[in-house]
Amino acid sequence: MDFRRDILPLKNIVFRTALRIVLSREEAEDIVQDTLLKLWEKRDELHKVENLEAFALTMARNLALDRTAKKEAENVSLEEDKHDRPDDTTGEADTPMTRLEASSFVAGIINSLPEKQRTILQLRDIEGKNYKEIANLLSISESDVKVTLFRARNTLKEKILQKRDLFL
Amino acid sequence: MLRENMNYQYIEQLLDSYFACTTTLQEEQILRSFFSQEEVPGHLAQYAGLFNYEVSVKDEELGEDFDERMMARIEAAEPSKKPATKAHIVKLTTRHFAPFFKAAAVVAMALTIGRAAEHAIGEQEAEEQAGMMAVDPYIKSGDVHEAIRVKDVSQAEIKATNDSIVGVTTDDEIQ
Repeated sequence: MDFRRDILPLKNIVFRTALRIVLSREEAEDIVQDTLLKLWEKRDELHKVENLEAFALTMARNLALDRTAKKEAENVSLEEDKHDRPDDTTGEADTPMTRLEASSFVAGIINSLPEKQRTILQLRDIEGKNYKEIANLLSISESDVKVTLFRARNTLKEKILQKRDLFL
Repeated sequence: MLRENMNYQYIEQLLDSYFACTTTLQEEQILRSFFSQEEVPGHLAQYAGLFNYEVSVKDEELGEDFDERMMARIEAAEPSKKPATKAHIVKLTTRHFAPFFKAAAVVAMALTIGRAAEHAIGEQEAEEQAGMMAVDPYIKSGDVHEAIRVKDVSQAEIKATNDSIVGVTTDDEIQ
């Protein structure tokens, strides 16, 4: 096994996955490094692993969740948890948003979603995973994936329409 | 125009399915492509941010500077390991290609011998040769090359053939 050829290419999907959880680029990068290092240390056992990417993402998720738990000093489980995180949006709803503003507005809403919804949204809408793959990655049922995705997408829709209605 | 309306109807249907989470990955790609256009009709424009966001986030990547930091960390973790993972320039010497040369040498010799044998065997000697060939167990099975291959080939012969094939002087040191 060669690090550059077999493990380093996982860096970006691990990065994005970690970023959804910790919401900080610096921390996400730390997690990528820790994950890739751990994988390298386990390289002799990796041939037993059926799906290296899934294995890496699970490892990264666990590291990321541990970090978040330590930070918040409370258990962050996969239970539905309403976080009262403030939106990253400012109060400038007077004019229609530019494309860039719209993107960052949506980014803000996504960051305010519970971690489970953020993660599933990312795995589906960014990484293009099907429901079965996501279910396996998170050790939940496919219907759970769909229900959670439903909540995420419809919260986004609701907030988008609210924003639009503010200046209609 | 009716045609335009139909196009948007399709998109609107896809949007409904998207929010119902019944779209396939391909259909979601269609939505993303649609919303990446410059001009999106007014009543749909509000969703552009959602699908553009998704496209831009995909570009969240770690660059080469990360790779350098990562490689440094790997080497720091296991300093005793040979830097096989380090991308360094390797001077190509015959030592590296020795196994290939051995194989090439054997094949070259087999072909040479084969060709020489073809020339040597005239029509008159053909029958006699056939008789001789019948005795050798490998040739009996029809595999002339196998018969030649099992012959002892000395290292000196291989080396001489290597050099004649490649035309370089052997360098025993890996630079």
